[in-house]
Amino acid sequence: MKRIGVYICHCGGNISDYVDVEEVRKSVEHEEGVVLAKTTMFACSDSNQNDMVSDIKEHRLDGVVVASCSPKLHLVTFRNVTERGDLNKYTYVHANIREQASWAHSDDKPGATGKAIHLVKAAIAKSRYAEPLYPNQIEAEKIIAVIGAGVAGLKAAASISDKNINVILIEKEDRVGGHTAELGDLFMSDEKGYDLINRIYNDIAQRDNVTILTGSEVISSKGSIGNFTLKIRKRPQNIGDPVETMEIKVGSIVVATGFESYIPKEGEFDYVVNENVITLPEFKLLVDKSTGDKLIYKGKTIKNIVYIYCVGSRQNEGGNTYCSRFCCTSVIHTAIEAKKKFKNIYNIHLNRGIRTYGKQELLYAESLKMGDIYLQFDQTTPPEITSNGKNSIVTVTDILSAGKKMSVEADLIVLVTGMVPRSDQSIGTMFKIPRGRDKFYNEIHMKLRPVETVIDGITIAGTCQGPKKISESVNSALSAATKSFSYVSKGTLETDPIIAVINEDSCSWCGKCLEACPFDAIEKINLNNREIAAVNSSVCKGCGMCAPVCPPDAINLIGYRNEEIISMIDVLA
Amino acid sequence: MATKINPSFTDELKKYGAVNMNACYNCGTCTAVCSLSTTDESFPREMVRLSALGLEEDIKTSLKPWECYYCGECTTSCPQQANPGELMMSLRRWLTAKYDWTGLSGLLYKSLPLMILAMILIFASVLYFASSVSFDLGQMLHAGHNFEMIAIGTIFIVIFIPNLLRMWYFTILKTKTNVGIKYYFTSLSELFVQMFTQKRLRDCDDADHFRWVEHLVLVLSYLSLLFTTVFLNWFTTENMFVIVFGYLISFVVFVVTAHFVSDRLKKNKSLNKFSQPSDWFFVIWLLLMGVTAFLVRLFIDLNLLESNKWLYIAHLTILAQWALIIVPFGKWTHFLYRSFGLYFSKLKTKKS
Repeated sequence: MKRIGVYICHCGGNISDYVDVEEVRKSVEHEEGVVLAKTTMFACSDSNQNDMVSDIKEHRLDGVVVASCSPKLHLVTFRNVTERGDLNKYTYVHANIREQASWAHSDDKPGATGKAIHLVKAAIAKSRYAEPLYPNQIEAEKIIAVIGAGVAGLKAAASISDKNINVILIEKEDRVGGHTAELGDLFMSDEKGYDLINRIYNDIAQRDNVTILTGSEVISSKGSIGNFTLKIRKRPQNIGDPVETMEIKVGSIVVATGFESYIPKEGEFDYVVNENVITLPEFKLLVDKSTGDKLIYKGKTIKNIVYIYCVGSRQNEGGNTYCSRFCCTSVIHTAIEAKKKFKNIYNIHLNRGIRTYGKQELLYAESLKMGDIYLQFDQTTPPEITSNGKNSIVTVTDILSAGKKMSVEADLIVLVTGMVPRSDQSIGTMFKIPRGRDKFYNEIHMKLRPVETVIDGITIAGTCQGPKKISESVNSALSAATKSFSYVSKGTLETDPIIAVINEDSCSWCGKCLEACPFDAIEKINLNNREIAAVNSSVCKGCGMCAPVCPPDAINLIGYRNEEIISMIDVLA
Repeated sequence: MATKINPSFTDELKKYGAVNMNACYNCGTCTAVCSLSTTDESFPREMVRLSALGLEEDIKTSLKPWECYYCGECTTSCPQQANPGELMMSLRRWLTAKYDWTGLSGLLYKSLPLMILAMILIFASVLYFASSVSFDLGQMLHAGHNFEMIAIGTIFIVIFIPNLLRMWYFTILKTKTNVGIKYYFTSLSELFVQMFTQKRLRDCDDADHFRWVEHLVLVLSYLSLLFTTVFLNWFTTENMFVIVFGYLISFVVFVVTAHFVSDRLKKNKSLNKFSQPSDWFFVIWLLLMGVTAFLVRLFIDLNLLESNKWLYIAHLTILAQWALIIVPFGKWTHFLYRSFGLYFSKLKTKKS
């Protein structure tokens, strides 16, 4: 018979204002196996944690139940408490009587108390069955692959290499540097984009623990965290050379596949139709490459430049609804460069609100002081481009002039285009990295786990995750590099023991579990000439999706086995 | 029909003294803090916006620049240091140039060398005239007096009436404001009250009425001095009351303008920070007029003028430069345009 200790938390009134915690204690203290039932003002407080540790030893407890807040908040806290009391931490059972009782039923105190009693009784029932569990230990390859050698990939590789771990940097193109390598002047730096890339490249190219594979694509991946096997195809360097394929084994992967620039549709703000309409990247290139004291485009001296903001960004539902973040800064920076470099340039910015956040505000201020004109339009009344036979005329309804319609003659119209996800999504599809509403790769939690994906061992860096400027890309690259390093740094890694297990005798392989599994953790194996399902313990997340779909009921979730769940349901009846 | 933007207009306006106006990011703080701006007549942000976009027609037909008395509150509160107060000031200069049919105002505002050249030419003419009458004091005094009468009349008819008509045409007729004839008469009180008392300036700084009192004293003293010298013929009169009165008001003109000049030198208020040549000429010449008139009369009374004819020549030069340049083409005109501006603005509220 188990000896179970039960703790019921007041949560300083959050629970006890609605749930009669003393009533709950009385109702459960005589439950089978319960040797100790206490109420406490704050179960998570240091003093209570210490009391729990001494209670475990004094009363020789082998099961602990805390009825308090959501397990999201304190499951790990109390697991650790039981571990300090020399119990296996997986024997701990948590009951949530705050979110599920007191907060949810603040209008019905007796009802809330009744529900809390049920929840605690169910937890006690589960506790009777709780078994000690042990994390799975797996060997991890101490090599990390970085996919994509733009500024994020290069910096991630450099950072991993600094930690004395081997890095394989894989780049699809024949050169490294991505978009940054195409840039000239950068904001907040005297260095040109291509110089920046050369500096990082020259640094890592001579390191022994960095392998750079250009012209190479990952074509398939097998395995899971700690042991990925990537198949790489290297394009022939010279015509006639054979296509080279190779296999590499890595412990973790940084995905830094970057973005593509939005290409306006033909006729979108007269793009392609009107030769005076170009995109921001084209304009940036024009300014960087032009020499002399006049800006000349297609043989014409440019004076009035009209910028139309948010082209391909912040569109209506169905389009790209997100803000591309870098474009306001980039276009203002380029406009200032143009005005400084060439004579007689007038910049007219047709925007939807300027988003030069942080230090970039300085650029906006500088541009204003230089005399750049800003007109603001609403999404519903976009600028229109017409022609007077000689020049293009841009007409816009200016919010800042009380909705007055303004027109300006434009020698050049720059569509301020943003970032879109790569059209080639093969890497994401291969690793099953989830994508967000805007089709960029998704992190687990925007703030708390910003570079991890739900696929263990795979982190994301740079603009494949969403629009970023260079410094933000580098920040995320360094973060992803460190996270990926932490997976493999010890050479072994532990995975959670709460996973699905297959009853080999009852399984007769129907494939339903494979269809249900969101993580590709199930494979078909052959056991004694019988086809059955097997669970890859390092990929399985213990989500439980497979268990209910199994026709012969051959799947159990460790920690949530059928008898445990049924015993919980029984006490509720 | 869309209004055409003129990005190069700000370059033009800078020549009239606009400072950093492009820094404006349209927050509207200036309009919010302005004690004269109302919901119906809101400024300065609107004028800053029109200027930044170079909408000349809208500015030319607007009376708002004349509704501002430049307390400087907007400039002090501006988070971008865009100097909306100075922008309003430079718009008044620009408007003055636009109203002037001769185009001389604009030229003189924009070019300091031209202004100095004109001043020198007038000095040379006075010297030429003085030598043509062999520096005879009696003849000079007589001619000086006649000159004042003729200059006032001529400038009024040739410059001011046509310019005021142009102002009326731009601001009333062009904006298609339909005002009944009788309102032109019933609103006349607004014109004269504003012209002689600057009543609106009182509402400008609610904390401190000193600037209004000082300005009012200066205007009244200046007009009295004009009246005393021109119509009462101060320099040749024997009437004791007129003589003493003349002394008194020329002294007051001297004191007040000296204070204005020192404020502009100290730059202690936002309205003094960016003095244009036209501002300097205006206050300094006003000061010099007060001083020289005072000294001329003093030298007459002490019987020293005959031996110090240079003093009268200096006074006549100052007077001629004032009457022929600063009054018709310089800052003096704000006296007329502002009062007519407020008068027209009042008419617009009566439009049928």
